[in-house]
Amino acid sequence: MSLTLRHQLTALDRALAHLLDERARLAREIASCASLPAPALDDALARMDGCFPAAGLERVFQAVDEGCRQAVEEAPR
Amino acid sequence: MILRLQIGTPAASVSELRAFIEGQGLRTFLSPEPTRPILAIVDRVPETLANQLAARPEVEQSIVPRGEWRLVDRAWREHPTSVSVGSVRVGAGESVVIAGPCSVEGRELILEGARICRDGGAHILRGGAFKPRTSPYAFQGLGREGLAQLKDAGQSVGLPVISEIMDATQVDAFRECEIDCLQVGARNMQNFTLLKAIAGAGRPVLLKRGLSATVAEWLAAAEYLAAHGSEQIILCERGIRTFETATRNTLDLTVLPLLRQWTHLPILVDPSHAAGIPELVAPLSRAAIAAGADGVAVEVHPRPDQALSDGAQALLPGELTQVVAECRVVGAALGRGFHRQPPLPAVQAGV
Repeated sequence: MSLTLRHQLTALDRALAHLLDERARLAREIASCASLPAPALDDALARMDGCFPAAGLERVFQAVDEGCRQAVEEAPR
Repeated sequence: MILRLQIGTPAASVSELRAFIEGQGLRTFLSPEPTRPILAIVDRVPETLANQLAARPEVEQSIVPRGEWRLVDRAWREHPTSVSVGSVRVGAGESVVIAGPCSVEGRELILEGARICRDGGAHILRGGAFKPRTSPYAFQGLGREGLAQLKDAGQSVGLPVISEIMDATQVDAFRECEIDCLQVGARNMQNFTLLKAIAGAGRPVLLKRGLSATVAEWLAAAEYLAAHGSEQIILCERGIRTFETATRNTLDLTVLPLLRQWTHLPILVDPSHAAGIPELVAPLSRAAIAAGADGVAVEVHPRPDQALSDGAQALLPGELTQVVAECRVVGAALGRGFHRQPPLPAVQAGV
């Protein structure tokens, strides 16, 4: 794997981490005034080109949902 | 010239150095920076004196300014600064969205607009009451009554408000109506009488870039505000005049990374005035956040086709929601947070 591709992969991992943080932050904001909706899995699946397997995405979204709900529970009150 | 002194330089040494410089007939300013003493010499420093000052043991770094500004120079502060507009902090690492109609057109309409902005995820409500129109026959705004309606609408949805001031005689009206941030429009960027008058108003100022202003002229205008007592300045790029006529103006995103090097002030982008075409507002907003803007200012109207000014460039309510969501996603991918909306007023929050 070239250095350039390795850098791109690292940049994508960082972006994913930042997006997860932002999702958890937003989940906390929503949870302070409403119930937390489930992840929009069908919408995400419809937008993907199939490179990432659907079953894998489902597991990822499940983990993301659990993480966000944990972030809500652990939010300072 | 800006002198960045060693961290921990005793206050007595700073005063002594200042007295020495002022004894040479030069005016100085001391930065409010809490961690490091920083001195700005606003007059031209003779070369021999400059060399003498740079060699002093308490001077860590002496910087020759790039232009006619000192107090807004990046070297004047240790870190980029943020500005509080009501409870919203602009420039604190979280993107903000200013939204609202071009003009306040009446109590019901601005209230409807405020609700749209609140529901769409915006942080600050905008609306013009004194309108600088190219045509003297175009709608000139509701004046002081418009300011009062804007403030009432903002309060009803829990958002601070911003409006354009055009003349020094309007400062009292803005203060009395408790407008949270004063906007200096592109046409008034170099109205130095106005800049000096509002610098002492004790309110944050959003300074738009002039239609044909260079970055140096823009920062020199900001320096007028800083030199006359305003520490709360936000810059706003809104497009400049070029040979291109396909869009209303040309959005100069180059200034975003450049200004990060040249100034400590927060920077917003107004894609609505830059493009003049609503379909371009969302992509330009994304680009602005990606290029490092602290947020965007967009025009939204409940019914753009009936707007009394600039309706052609206003977003529809649903389009604002999309712009906000996309700004959040682009910012998040780059490690930038999104400012939390101010709390709803107690009566609407069900308290």
